[in-house]
Amino acid sequence: MSKKPTLGVYGFTGCAGCQLAIIDCEDQLVDLFEAADIKVFYEAMSNNDDEAEVDIALVEGSINTEKQKEELLEIRKKAKILVAFGSCANYGCVQTMANDDGKWAERFKKVYGDVKFTVGKAMEAQPISNFVKVDVSIPGCSPSTPQMLMAFTKLLNGNMPVYTNAPVCLECKFRENECLLNKDILCLGPLTKGGCTAPCPTHNTGCVGCWGIIDEANHTAELKLMVEKGFKADDIIRKFSIFGGGKITAKINELMEVVQ
Amino acid sequence: MKTIKVNHLARVEGDGGITVEFDGNKLSKVNVDIFEGPRLIEALAVGKTAQEINSITPRICAICTVSHKNASVRACDRALAIPETKKTYYTRELMHLGEIVESHSLHVFALALPDFLGYPNVIAMVDKYKDIVMQALNLKKFGNRIMQITNGKFIHGENAVAGGYGKFPSKTELLEIKTTAESFMEFVTAATDIVGGLEIPSYLEEETVFGCCNPDDSNSFGYWGDSIIVSDGTIIPAMEYKENLIERVVPHSFAKRSLYKGKPFSVTALGRLINLGDRLKGNAGEYYRKYRNWRWNRNPFFNNLAQSIEMIYCLERIPVVIDKLLEMKDTPIQEPTRSDGRGVGLVEAPRGLLVHDYTFRDGKIIDCNIITPTAYNLDDMEKYIGIAAKNLNNAGQETEAIRFELEKIARSYDPCISCATHLVNVIKK
Repeated sequence: MSKKPTLGVYGFTGCAGCQLAIIDCEDQLVDLFEAADIKVFYEAMSNNDDEAEVDIALVEGSINTEKQKEELLEIRKKAKILVAFGSCANYGCVQTMANDDGKWAERFKKVYGDVKFTVGKAMEAQPISNFVKVDVSIPGCSPSTPQMLMAFTKLLNGNMPVYTNAPVCLECKFRENECLLNKDILCLGPLTKGGCTAPCPTHNTGCVGCWGIIDEANHTAELKLMVEKGFKADDIIRKFSIFGGGKITAKINELMEVVQ
Repeated sequence: MKTIKVNHLARVEGDGGITVEFDGNKLSKVNVDIFEGPRLIEALAVGKTAQEINSITPRICAICTVSHKNASVRACDRALAIPETKKTYYTRELMHLGEIVESHSLHVFALALPDFLGYPNVIAMVDKYKDIVMQALNLKKFGNRIMQITNGKFIHGENAVAGGYGKFPSKTELLEIKTTAESFMEFVTAATDIVGGLEIPSYLEEETVFGCCNPDDSNSFGYWGDSIIVSDGTIIPAMEYKENLIERVVPHSFAKRSLYKGKPFSVTALGRLINLGDRLKGNAGEYYRKYRNWRWNRNPFFNNLAQSIEMIYCLERIPVVIDKLLEMKDTPIQEPTRSDGRGVGLVEAPRGLLVHDYTFRDGKIIDCNIITPTAYNLDDMEKYIGIAAKNLNNAGQETEAIRFELEKIARSYDPCISCATHLVNVIKK
């Protein structure tokens, strides 16, 4: 048998749920530790080798200190394939919902007052793609077990994972759910990347958009439908912005002007 | 001068570190540094609705996602005077018990036990302790399964909202949970005896104060309440937490710190058993009485044992809660009866007291304050690390050995640094 591929799991600012999602693969955890030579995985082990070059780097979290930015650049140099793992790494997630509104310093002061930190320099949180080239994207808050394991299997065998470009809406149909928009519940499923198997709409709670907005969709038409249904533009924009980050907020704002 | 540096505190959640400095033989500095970058969730909460905040705040931390959810829905219910049906109350409790089982089994078996048995991680233990590892992983999976059934997903589910649930678990699902809970009792009691039999180091002992939620029913153990009970006998009403557990910002940590009556305190599973353990019945009560001793009040390492005893409690409580739920009809999501008000949601996360405090105006948040157990524990953690560093150094221990022990202390608190922060730094001048 050829040499095992080397793997590093790295975490930046977030809830650490993507790393936890790996540990949560209880049935496959032993297999995963056997299939890969894991060099770094702080949340799970203490024999970590920070200097190691790795075939695959799974990077979780967003970047919001200078120290993290430097560490991320180092990981990029050491990794053959860099995977943006989860919503924070891919889009920034909830901590970036108000990015680029020019009020970050004000919010920082509101939470921490005037203390001069010695622990590092903080900045507005950003997805890792703002700093390094990302080779593979595994979305989700947190990533779903089947989608994630499929991607790991492909990557550990030297292949690239491929996803269908379908929204949550399709997965909801597969589960034979009655459409929540018809029940006047605001749901972002039609414009959100699938892969989660639609657990939220299945529980009668609207999709919150945590997989990120889907690229290929008629965004304007969907927003128009939502407005026609009677949902308020402000509520729609705010709901998209929570997981979409500053960029999506700007985009939805722009489209909404066309719609109205 | 001698310097030892480890770049990450391992087998904890999030990015934090420890700096201990000696000036000759005198301890000159003890800092638990929190590097995890600030996300400013409290500031971003402003302008959001109850349903939106229920979705945002669990993202503070994945291991405590359900605790944040329950604190959030409780705060919203109180602020907006939303009635809580019995069905909702017990489904929230079941969801919470799931998280305690999942988090404790992960911490005790996968994160802490390797320290005491001399392994770098839980998977390395498979060769010698295969049964324990596999059963522990199964137990953890069971905790996740409960959260998936009740909250829709095991990490960051959206089913629980202020006022109720989008969809309640089915009878079949409830019966599955009940049967599985009963099947784990033998393993958990045996595992508690293993943890109870571990030799607990004595180089750090000093009395401290413990706080936890005061359960609604004064005869019962439990994971939430509308006041805080302190081991000195004080009861703090939820709305007065700020005036009693005083928060401050320190330059070496992006997580805020808190003191009670000017002193550090602990909010842990150990704290819950010290304050409420006398109320435990059944196997949990038996194991509590078997292992309770005076060292518990002086030594944070007993937290691992406390977590094990709590797992027994959870497995006994789950069938009781399910029997109640099976008799109740599903209730629709309850609506707010006002749009202005302040509400404080207090719950016990697996690692201790968690506070969500929201003020609403016109149905949107105008003020939000969240304090996590790891933030509450940081001062006490620093205190014990200082005592240990001093004693181990005086005993002539090598810096590498000291470093390992200090990491172990931090780990015993089951810190969750996303919630609040990895690096141990022992500097000998």
